[in-house]
Amino acid sequence: MIRASSATVHFPGTRMVMGAVCVLAAWQGLAAATTGALLVAGPLEVINHIAENAGLYARAVGVTLSSAAWGFLLGNLAAVVLAALAILRPRAQGVISGLALLTFCLPLVATGPILRVVFGPGEGPQITLAALAVYYTTYISVLVGLRAVPATWLDLVTSYGRGRGTALWRVQAYAALPYLVSGLQIAAPAAILGALVGEFTGAERGLGVLTLQAMRDLDVTATWAIASLAAVLSIMLHAGIGWIANRVLNEEPPLILAPPVARGKPNYSRSGAATGALTALIALSLWWGIAEISQLSSFFFKRPDDVWVFLVSSDTAAQNRAELTASGLETARALLPGYFAGLGAGAGLAILLTLVPGLSSVAMPIAIALRAAPIVTTAPLLVLVVGRGAVGSAVLVAVMVFFPVLIACLHGLSRAPGQVLDVMDSYAAGRWRTLIYARLPAMLPAFFGAARMTVPAAVLAVTVVEWLATGRGLGALMALSASLSNYGMLWSVTLVVAVSAVAGYAAVARLERAVLSVFASEQVQ
Amino acid sequence: MAPDRAPPPDIVCRALDKRFGDVEVLAPFDVTFEAGKTTALVGPSGCGKSTLLRLIAGLDTADSGELSIGGQTADAVRGAGGLAIAFQDASLLPWRTARGNVALAQRLARQPVDRVAIDALLNRVGLTGFLDTRPGALSGGMRQRAAIARCLITRPRLLLLDEPFGAVDELTRRQLGLELPPLWRSEGTTTVMVTHSVTEAIFLSDRILVLSPRPARVLEDVEVRLGHPRASEMMEQAEFIDAFKTVTAALERGEAQRQNALAAQ
Repeated sequence: MIRASSATVHFPGTRMVMGAVCVLAAWQGLAAATTGALLVAGPLEVINHIAENAGLYARAVGVTLSSAAWGFLLGNLAAVVLAALAILRPRAQGVISGLALLTFCLPLVATGPILRVVFGPGEGPQITLAALAVYYTTYISVLVGLRAVPATWLDLVTSYGRGRGTALWRVQAYAALPYLVSGLQIAAPAAILGALVGEFTGAERGLGVLTLQAMRDLDVTATWAIASLAAVLSIMLHAGIGWIANRVLNEEPPLILAPPVARGKPNYSRSGAATGALTALIALSLWWGIAEISQLSSFFFKRPDDVWVFLVSSDTAAQNRAELTASGLETARALLPGYFAGLGAGAGLAILLTLVPGLSSVAMPIAIALRAAPIVTTAPLLVLVVGRGAVGSAVLVAVMVFFPVLIACLHGLSRAPGQVLDVMDSYAAGRWRTLIYARLPAMLPAFFGAARMTVPAAVLAVTVVEWLATGRGLGALMALSASLSNYGMLWSVTLVVAVSAVAGYAAVARLERAVLSVFASEQVQ
Repeated sequence: MAPDRAPPPDIVCRALDKRFGDVEVLAPFDVTFEAGKTTALVGPSGCGKSTLLRLIAGLDTADSGELSIGGQTADAVRGAGGLAIAFQDASLLPWRTARGNVALAQRLARQPVDRVAIDALLNRVGLTGFLDTRPGALSGGMRQRAAIARCLITRPRLLLLDEPFGAVDELTRRQLGLELPPLWRSEGTTTVMVTHSVTEAIFLSDRILVLSPRPARVLEDVEVRLGHPRASEMMEQAEFIDAFKTVTAALERGEAQRQNALAAQ
């Protein structure tokens, strides 16, 4: 966490309306400019289309919302329980967080089809994927909240001879409520995204099914209509939760950008490598245990040793590895440029907005609202616009990374420590020199926090767009393996993607720690 | 005083008015700070001392009235690097070392960075051995020493101190109050300082203005008749005790007036 915990983001009504009008006008303008190209359906066209098919969309929205709501409930419940466990058992915190991250990094593109086989038709996969999509961000938010309690409050509980449980229940739970709300705000759109991806894997009803239909029929208006519906739903849920929280808690939920770089209390801490090894061991045992206990057919539910055979010891192992590597490289070619472009664009725009006074306070609510839009559902649109090449995937990854980074950087830029900005001002330092000497360095922790948190999101984006739209890379390989029942490959890709995402996350975290030790030394003990 | 530098300015405030929403902080406020002297502003919390300091520094603007610093505006003085301010929290950049923080001030004031002068000054404020340490690893007192060094390195004509030693313990506070002021006295600087501590005000200044609760008025204008450099033994001198009594009585008068005003409502 980059000291952003106590910061609040205001949602002034007029600014939101202004922002919405700007977005709609730009959209209508884009549609008008590209008439005939069959790429963009303007807002009026989309509203017309939805009105004409009101019954169809209402039913689909109902189905998707119901799956999302169940997933939201279950995922968040799990998150809160996990966070409480992590607080009560600080020694286990590293492992719990590690397992949670690993599960979060499982590619939905692969877990979807596997869950489909396990659950059969029905809402099971949608609900599970929605739960998987929400629990990590909530876990992080609640954990940050539980830890944000001043030590003296806990000492107070101890001074009355009460234990950890009492402290958790009487003090930390209340203190963490605003953080929980922040987590729930981010979780609502994520739940819709999870439900949609679940529906992509072969549901009978819901917005996801309509999306696939629209894509197959190259129905531009319907594609835009569904993406708009999903976006509006997400933004409304995000705002609605914020509004309710405001009423109940009487305070704005804090803006949570990223969890603190993992570190235990000194006397508890194992080395990072030991925690990593222990986490991997437990993950493997859980994987194997679930397979054995649930008695799922080893034809589609592969065990760790099956993956080993597939990738290392079977006759076709070399060929399997080659296929996986080729797809992996293809994915990396879209993922890495997209990721770095997203980082650069987010930070760059944040800096530009800061240079024009007043602009960043207008941009912030718009960016927060757009972050809530399930960007992955725009994949079909994006491919319509930029084509099926690696560029399309890269652009989507960039957009996915862009918003969280923009928000984090705007936030970081606005808060140089102490009265440093006044000191700058007392030398008449001006906008540029204040930016270079005070704001930019103060932004770095927020930037790196966002860079770390967006690694799994970027992996999710690239695999989904490859699966839904471009037909390349690991995303397509997973989809193909699922449809050909090549489960050895599907599980292998899943493992590789999850481990790579965790490794990427860890690499950024390492860099972040190095940066924080200089630029926010009070946060790294 | 250095020959290449304009003499310290006086500060003339005429009918300064500043309100934050409904709260009237300064309602026509008149005062003159003499050139080359150290003036302390003492008054109850929230009475407008810091606001006045921020107006002089050009960090805020008055709603009406005139403020002239040696005939110039605050902006002009700031722009020429003629002003330095220190706050209660040292406000050092956490990613720069003590040296780096001081060097930055020269850079911001558009002066050439003088490594030798920086090191000499840091040694003089008592940071020997900590020149390359980042603020996170410095004690509160050391951070304030570095902040004062940052203020002095640009050789400002006007030095503003907003409770500069407010965040450190009593012992350190007294030590800093004895060690550091001679550094800026020798430079011939107009100094305005805000403090809560009557003792500190007497020790550090030539003149004390006791301000009333909001909106601020000058209740008492006390001249401190102690020689320089100041020393702890001076606490026992009659001049010290007189000043202490006068200032304390004025503060109590202000509080009584506020209570009366509240009761009258």
